[in-house]
Amino acid sequence: MVISRRGFALGSAAAVGLAVEGLGRPALADSQPIRIGWLAALTGPSSAPTIGFDRGVHYAVDTINAAGGVRGRQIDLVVRDTQGDPTKAVNGAQAMISRIGVHAIWGPTNSGEALATTPIMARANMPNVYPCFVDRLIDPARYPNAFRIAPSNTQIDDAVSEYCVKNLGVKAVAIVGDTTGYGTTAVGTSAAAFQKRGANVVYHATIDPTQPDVTPDMLRMRNAGAEVIVVWSVSPGLCARLMNTRATMGWDVPLAGHPTMGSGEVGKLIAKPENWRRVYILGFRNCSFGADGKLPAHVQRFVDGLDGKIELSDTMLWWVLDGVDAITLIADAVRSSGGTDPAGMIAYWNTLTNYPGLFGTYSFSKTQHNGLPTSEVVMSEANSHHLGAYRLAPGYV
Amino acid sequence: MLAAILASGLAVGAVYALIGITYNTMFAASRVMSFTAGQLGMLGGVLGAMFMTRLGLPALLALLATLACCAAIGVLTEIVAVRPVLKSLDQHLYVLSTLAIALMIQQVTAIAWSTEPQPFPRLFGIGDGGPLDEKFWLPLLAAAVVVGGLELLHRHTLVGRAFLAVAEDNFAARALGLPERNLRMGSYALAGAIGGLAGFASGQLLLAFFANGAMLNFYGFLPVALGGMGNNRGAIIGGLVLGVFQQAANFLFGGVFAAVAVFAVFIVVLLAAPQGLLSRTAARRV
Repeated sequence: MVISRRGFALGSAAAVGLAVEGLGRPALADSQPIRIGWLAALTGPSSAPTIGFDRGVHYAVDTINAAGGVRGRQIDLVVRDTQGDPTKAVNGAQAMISRIGVHAIWGPTNSGEALATTPIMARANMPNVYPCFVDRLIDPARYPNAFRIAPSNTQIDDAVSEYCVKNLGVKAVAIVGDTTGYGTTAVGTSAAAFQKRGANVVYHATIDPTQPDVTPDMLRMRNAGAEVIVVWSVSPGLCARLMNTRATMGWDVPLAGHPTMGSGEVGKLIAKPENWRRVYILGFRNCSFGADGKLPAHVQRFVDGLDGKIELSDTMLWWVLDGVDAITLIADAVRSSGGTDPAGMIAYWNTLTNYPGLFGTYSFSKTQHNGLPTSEVVMSEANSHHLGAYRLAPGYV
Repeated sequence: MLAAILASGLAVGAVYALIGITYNTMFAASRVMSFTAGQLGMLGGVLGAMFMTRLGLPALLALLATLACCAAIGVLTEIVAVRPVLKSLDQHLYVLSTLAIALMIQQVTAIAWSTEPQPFPRLFGIGDGGPLDEKFWLPLLAAAVVVGGLELLHRHTLVGRAFLAVAEDNFAARALGLPERNLRMGSYALAGAIGGLAGFASGQLLLAFFANGAMLNFYGFLPVALGGMGNNRGAIIGGLVLGVFQQAANFLFGGVFAAVAVFAVFIVVLLAAPQGLLSRTAARRV
């Protein structure tokens, strides 16, 4: 091989450049901001939860940065509005991974988007935290980078069926959902959870959310001997119709299930305030008022300390707290692992036991990435909304 | 139990029937099936609720304002979506143009009003949610008023007879000097008001909800197909039967099986009488 003077000069320059680049990288990496990707459905039909999460996220980022950042590094939030569209979520995730070079991603916040983005993030070994419910999103063997800080659908079904069977003492259950994909799926999984606990599912069906009158459906449930009606619907109209029809029929059967039944939209549609009684919705221990009218001590301190910095009256407290926890978990991973190396951050999360978050007390291991314990998934009284939280349903201590 | 099913079935059926008459009124004047009929019904509920709850108008004024707005939207539909495609009816372009207008109405309502159902105020405060509650008999009353009003209009007024003349043969009507375009616009305004009345009268039952439009478009078309195109009596009977059958099917089969039962009967009827149960095939002298 002949080495020319020009080739030698170019090769030497390249070698020196690489050496300088290699020497300079650690210093540069230690001083650059920690870039956290935030895949947020800030607009579109599923934006309400994301707006709540977003308030918590910004609060946490501002608080950490104001305190000097993490190991002297500021947090730089990179937000992409996915509009609830899986395609936009995929594009956003790819841009964050390949072009922007974020160090961790929080979100997306709905399962449809997460089903599309999770494999992409797994291929890039991107540390990822999200609040989506679909069970199969968490699989430490396939997605060792993905961690859930919200309940899974199984945990939700377990909590609702456990409450109905043990606390309400019912044996015969009617389960209804709306005719969306979610409603249809939820009815099936909920029925399985009740049967697992020895309850008799005497009626299960889906109802069109625009159906003007649910009297025939309620009559069928009553004739079947239902002692509780479990509702899986995101339609306030359907939920309110079930409550109003229950009152018209003079049937004092309890309703249990989806948090939509506790939304302000339902409150506007019920004919009388008493129609909202004996309705129990899914809730979370740390976001529930106890018998003393207080939240758990550390959450109460946080809410008291907000001093109006986060609007809570038009959102859910758990969305805000989960957003705070997500940023705190990522910041702590950087702090404890000594940097933004993905393997180090993931390894740190895998060691967490009873991590005291605001929304929940999280535990992860190499084989368990569902962080929230089922014991923290509880039922609340639907008509007790205050500051984004609810009162614990009867039967909890 | 039977009273509850009958009350809600007849009420829902009356709404379907009124939307069917809205379809027919527009069809009679233009030979166009305008898919804005259900959206007019939806707007009747949304505008009524808006005028009463947000602007604080009394119920009667709110009703008049709702009818006027829906009539204006009916006229707008004629100008924007129907008139430009009348010359090529055989290409059925009106399907696209009226569907486009319908979608626009729905989306604008969702953005400007709400994507969640909103309450519709009580009008008289009669009933406590049982079978005699006003939410069940108001749609029936509205249907009776519309049927009576149309009979009076068609039999006892010159304008009504002119409507019938255009519906019978618009070429002959034009040859006789009748202002066919104005009469068509008048028909669309009338259809808009009927659709608006359907929505206003059923506001407590259906709530003020942007998604009602698509549902009413669909179920309002069934009485037209069952009763015969352009046949208002057929639409009334078809609508009421459909409503009661639907509620009975909800009770007997429940959930999605009720919808399957409704459409199974619909298909059987159309196989037996493709022109509709109450429509006669018109003979034409050649």
